[in-house]
Amino acid sequence: MATIVTMPKLGTTMEEGTIIKWLKKEGEPIQKGEPYVEIQTDKVNLEDEAPESGIMRKILVSEGAVVPVGKEIAIIAGADEVLPEIGEEKTKEAERQASQIKSGEETKEQPKEMEAFEGRVKASPAAKRVARENDVDLSKVTPSGPDGRITEKDVMEFIKSHKIKATPVAMKIAVEQGISLETIQKAPGERITKQDLVPKESEKTFPAAETQKVIPVTGMRKIIAERMTKSKGTAPHIYLTLEVDMTKVIELREKLLPAIQARYSCKLSYNDILIKASAVAIKQNPIVNSSFLGDEIIIKQDINIGLAVALDDGLIVPVVRCADKKGIGEISKETTQLIEKARSGKLMPDEYQGGTFTITNLGMYDIENFKAIINQPESAILAVGKIMKKPVVIGDQIVIRPMMNLTLSCDHRVIDGAQGARFLQTLKQILEEPLEMLM
Amino acid sequence: MPEKLYIDALREGLREEMLRDENVFILGEDVGLYGGAFGVTKGLFQEFGEDRVKDTPISEAAIAGAAVGAALCGMRPVAEIMFFDFFTIAMDQLVNQGAKNRYMFGGKAKVPMVIRGPMGCGTGAAAQHSQSFPAVFAHFPGLKVVMPSTPYDVKGLIKASIRDDNPVVFAEHKLLYRVKGEVPDEEYIVPLGKADVKRKGKDITVVAGSIMVIRALEAAKQLEKEGIDVEVVDPRTLKPLDMDTIINSVKKTGRVVIVEDDPISFGWGAEVAAGIASSSAFDYLDAPIKRLAGLDIPIPYNPNLEKHAVPQVEDIIKGIKDTLR
Repeated sequence: MATIVTMPKLGTTMEEGTIIKWLKKEGEPIQKGEPYVEIQTDKVNLEDEAPESGIMRKILVSEGAVVPVGKEIAIIAGADEVLPEIGEEKTKEAERQASQIKSGEETKEQPKEMEAFEGRVKASPAAKRVARENDVDLSKVTPSGPDGRITEKDVMEFIKSHKIKATPVAMKIAVEQGISLETIQKAPGERITKQDLVPKESEKTFPAAETQKVIPVTGMRKIIAERMTKSKGTAPHIYLTLEVDMTKVIELREKLLPAIQARYSCKLSYNDILIKASAVAIKQNPIVNSSFLGDEIIIKQDINIGLAVALDDGLIVPVVRCADKKGIGEISKETTQLIEKARSGKLMPDEYQGGTFTITNLGMYDIENFKAIINQPESAILAVGKIMKKPVVIGDQIVIRPMMNLTLSCDHRVIDGAQGARFLQTLKQILEEPLEMLM
Repeated sequence: MPEKLYIDALREGLREEMLRDENVFILGEDVGLYGGAFGVTKGLFQEFGEDRVKDTPISEAAIAGAAVGAALCGMRPVAEIMFFDFFTIAMDQLVNQGAKNRYMFGGKAKVPMVIRGPMGCGTGAAAQHSQSFPAVFAHFPGLKVVMPSTPYDVKGLIKASIRDDNPVVFAEHKLLYRVKGEVPDEEYIVPLGKADVKRKGKDITVVAGSIMVIRALEAAKQLEKEGIDVEVVDPRTLKPLDMDTIINSVKKTGRVVIVEDDPISFGWGAEVAAGIASSSAFDYLDAPIKRLAGLDIPIPYNPNLEKHAVPQVEDIIKGIKDTLR
């Protein structure tokens, strides 16, 4: 029995996947459970395992192709088995047969509808001739003929509506300076004049820099672009900054470092402490742990802290669930594993979804202070700067202290300035007296 | 210009040629005293006598064979076949002798003969007396095929056919005999191989032959009221076929409907369609070429069914509108 393998759904939000690499070639034997393909979802790369044993008889999509979940990608079958017909032909044939049975028509009386051939524009020979003569791209012409056929009239109308009108002087300038008149924006019917072609001093353009490399916006890049744009576009951000004296956190870390190393075999980081501290501060300021849903604001019970991890070609935010209920050692162990998985692209969807608050730290890049974009549907994000020794005034003394900037970005639809400030103040107090969070 | 019936114009043409050339004679079943089953030769027996208007036995093979032989001997026979359906019996003499002799004698012998008869349905004559198949003869090298649609054309073309040195199949439609049209009294000839634009138009070309020219013109007249300007092209002779006139018309209009009286399969309309599609007119086509023709069935006796067996005016109107969509 031939097995038709489809694009697996590797996470609740996955709708399509990219075939990165076929691990089995056509004709190779394959065991049930054996990885046969590497698939990239919007976040991670995963190997999918064969559902059946047999021979990889047919690969239906090539590497690099983006395939919707549930779409056939390969056929595993016995060596001599007759393969089922796959894909659109199959469904079309089935539909045709179904409609035939239904209407009782003879084969000859098939629907007149012509099949659309990919990449081919349906146009009459006359339309094609006129398009050719006038250098018109037929794919831009709106068809009016039966079954979507472009007729000669359609092309003529396209030419008429797209004909560029320009004054003789404008045309001369365009030719001399090599300006394409098509690029000049004008109201329909209005003529292009000299003024349109001679740019104002401030608008003069210079030759564009030469392209070194073109990066297609797909997968993670696309998701980041979409989500950041959406967040900035929908959530009015307010930014609150304060400085924290990190003396005691540094002391605490040094004390805990060997113990955690011994017990959890991982290195305690400032981020781990920040996760714990934030979770405790959130518990006291639950509004920060919320989502704005238009009609209502949901305050979340679980405090799931995401930590932004930079990758070579993007960014991912693994989540430490219920951070308020976990010890620092446990958090440290978890983040170590999550970061490693994130960097190797092996993070499972459940490990980067469901966050309620995010921490992003650019201190290691010497950044002192920055403002982050909220990771929706969360309502706040904490941007952490570098710990720097600074002269500060304590009492009436100038002393040197390791200081760190924290900037909270809040969605003002949910969190008002004072609420955000209270959270930040709580966090500052916890970090300056870190033993408090153990209570 | 005086108006004459198709049948009378045809007889005038025959008579003029008989007067002009004494080698021209008529033979066929009941063409003499009776004047032919449809009356085409009426009065000619009285005028020219039994030597030049000869009644024959009921054998189309004999009629055709005698005509081929007489033509080879220098005569110019015009043989009448009572119904076009019976051309099948004359087929061997016509196709295997008449069409081949000039070629096989290296041009030293000629076969100047006309074989004519009434075709088509619409008279309730049933399956064996109602067929139109002039296209069959266009398939054979050595034969010419003519199918005039108007009184003017039938006279001019019968004269040209009689004067031609090759066997000519001359297909008349029964329903055309009673059609009236302008025919000058003066001598004229309509050359073989020359199509005629029966009606000038700019929106769509209808290529129609024989009786279908009349129906296409009626359709055009009705469509004119709806602002559709139809050009009707009548090839007049299937062989030689004047593709140039058709191509030029299609180039002008970009759309074409071909209307035939013959059954659709392998009909002359397919030849015309292929000629258009493979010509310079291809780049001017703005819609698929449409063919309207007889159904692939024997002509039914029942008058209602008979009517639907071949295109009627309303079918042509619909075909034109479909192509103009």
